[in-house]
Amino acid sequence: MLRYAIKRTAMSILTMFALICLTFIMMHAIPGGPFTSDRGLSPSVEAALNEKYHLGDSVLVQLRHYMKDLARGDLGVSYQYRGKSVNDFITSGFPVSGRLGCAAIVFVLLTSVPLGVTAALKNGRWQDMAVMGIATLGVTIPSFVMATMLIYIFSYRLAILPTLGASSWKGYILPTIALGGYSMAFLARLIRSSLLEVMGQDYIRTARSKGISEFRVVTRHALRNALIPVITVLGPTMANLLTGSFVVESIFAMPGLGIHFVSGISNRDYTTIMGMTIFYATFLIAIVFIVDIFYCLIDPRIKYD
Amino acid sequence: MTERHGIPDMDDPWGRLPAYSEAREFIGGASRTFAADVWLRFRRKFTSILGLFLILIVSLFAFVGPFFTRFSYEDQNLEYVNIPPFFRAIECGGGLYHITPGLKLIRLEDGGRLSGAVNKVSADQAAKSAVFDDGGKKLVMDYSSRPYSLLDGEGRRAESTLFVRNMTYPLGSDSLGRDMMARLMYGARVSLLVALTAALANLVIGVFFGSVSAYCGGSVDAVMMRVVDIISTLPLTLYVILIMVFLDAGMTGIVVALGTVYWVNMARVVRGEILSLKGRDFVLASRTIGSSSAVILVRHLIPNAMGSILVTLTMLIPQAIFMEAFLSFIGLGIPAPLASLGTMCSDALGMLRSSPYQLFEPAFLICALTFGFNFMGDGLRDAMDPKLRK
Repeated sequence: MLRYAIKRTAMSILTMFALICLTFIMMHAIPGGPFTSDRGLSPSVEAALNEKYHLGDSVLVQLRHYMKDLARGDLGVSYQYRGKSVNDFITSGFPVSGRLGCAAIVFVLLTSVPLGVTAALKNGRWQDMAVMGIATLGVTIPSFVMATMLIYIFSYRLAILPTLGASSWKGYILPTIALGGYSMAFLARLIRSSLLEVMGQDYIRTARSKGISEFRVVTRHALRNALIPVITVLGPTMANLLTGSFVVESIFAMPGLGIHFVSGISNRDYTTIMGMTIFYATFLIAIVFIVDIFYCLIDPRIKYD
Repeated sequence: MTERHGIPDMDDPWGRLPAYSEAREFIGGASRTFAADVWLRFRRKFTSILGLFLILIVSLFAFVGPFFTRFSYEDQNLEYVNIPPFFRAIECGGGLYHITPGLKLIRLEDGGRLSGAVNKVSADQAAKSAVFDDGGKKLVMDYSSRPYSLLDGEGRRAESTLFVRNMTYPLGSDSLGRDMMARLMYGARVSLLVALTAALANLVIGVFFGSVSAYCGGSVDAVMMRVVDIISTLPLTLYVILIMVFLDAGMTGIVVALGTVYWVNMARVVRGEILSLKGRDFVLASRTIGSSSAVILVRHLIPNAMGSILVTLTMLIPQAIFMEAFLSFIGLGIPAPLASLGTMCSDALGMLRSSPYQLFEPAFLICALTFGFNFMGDGLRDAMDPKLRK
């Protein structure tokens, strides 16, 4: 177990390092410096700026400086917004994105488990068909289509929910559904098939023959085992929610991380793209790591390799 | 097929055998090829046939459709902006007219064909009315209350309104006056081509990587699989975005970005298959007659793994379509005036309130495609390997 944890830690660090180098080199290979704009700086100012940000040095030296800053948690300054650093974007955007992400996770878990369980217990009947229908729709509709459809129905047609904003809890409802829809459908399908498999096992028959109520059989005996595969996909699910938030945040105009990332892309704000990528990646890799370790703790049968 | 040997048909295995048959003791059917077998199982499932049907319909629409349209994807006519596929027409002074959301008056012919905008003579902003002149005929548009109405020369309000189909643009026109149908065909074609090339690129990389890794084994395998592990922990969406920023938006960029990222899964599948195959006797037999490793891989191992490869491939295509739409949506996709389904969706976002059809149409096509490929992939998996069925 410990060996596995150490190995995974080393792997995560290696991945992070590879990603930082890759990101840095890619962003630096794009022609044009950050201060080459049509405003035309005077040569002395440009030289001073290049000096300040070490832009005159070779890429490797710059990479070393960047790594050093990263180690102190400094992601650098934005090249497009004067006086803003990438850290400012993250500290202002993270609370909104974090709330949205947590709401989406809670929504996904609260809906997918009952849906999947219902479908499995009513296997072959109309409840099963209905859940599978919803789940199939959910995995085939892209999040931006889902988001816009929700806006159209609930904000324009029915006029009961706001189209945008993170000012009140109502503004979070539609983004949460749009963001979590895919994962909800995916998990519901997974839970259904895994519970179906578990319900056919001998120990379920044993539990029933002891005279335990069906409710207890499902919740105590079946569901516990059926939920193990769900934990394996939690890591990728979180990744999905996180990257899905780029689109959802920009459609609902929520001042989160995603909107800074997307506007960074369209403004060609390379430090922001770089910093955000690294931030997101660290976050994701950390989550996947925690989920994997957690999984090993929960299921003692897993091999540590 | 059945008559020759008196062997029962597997489609009717309990059927009566002829009384004098050499094969009375024989249990079995005429042998079928693998493909025929797969097709037999595939067509039994309604959803897989539905998936195949959806893909065929959308492909026909995308590739054959353009021969039958009057407009190309870039033809624009600024007179006809944002005209929906169905709209309200007003009969007034003997003519049929449509009032656009932009307060233009459009003359209609034969119950739905657009035949030019009517000249505006004067407008009274305060009273919310405008005077139009249609070939000497005076018409007054009153837009003070919804629905907008039309008054003829003598000030009589036109009573009869009817819903008509847009005969010029069957699926409406977009915000720049382009035919939605031509653009949808073009967009679907771009999306399909991008997804197919990206999937094929992934196929080639994945199959090569996976098969070499499995066939060589040992330390080569260990190193190659560590690479796969590292790549699979990378957040792929971020990586695709980085490549797109690096390569600049465009067809090549998107194909390269999507084509080089999603092969990891394919490599794993192929490796697993080949690991289980390479110990089989037919490989040994091939080696004893002196075949080279390349021949064994290409002629014997990979064809045997084709089933799982095909299934993984069909599952990759909707993923690529999704990703292409996603990239186009955040502004990294196909640049204008080209169109893909994703860019069409993102263009329509601003007009969602007034012309929702502009979003619904491309969104519907994306869903139909991902639906189709998912269903077909499921069906193929079940048909190729009945043991895997859930």
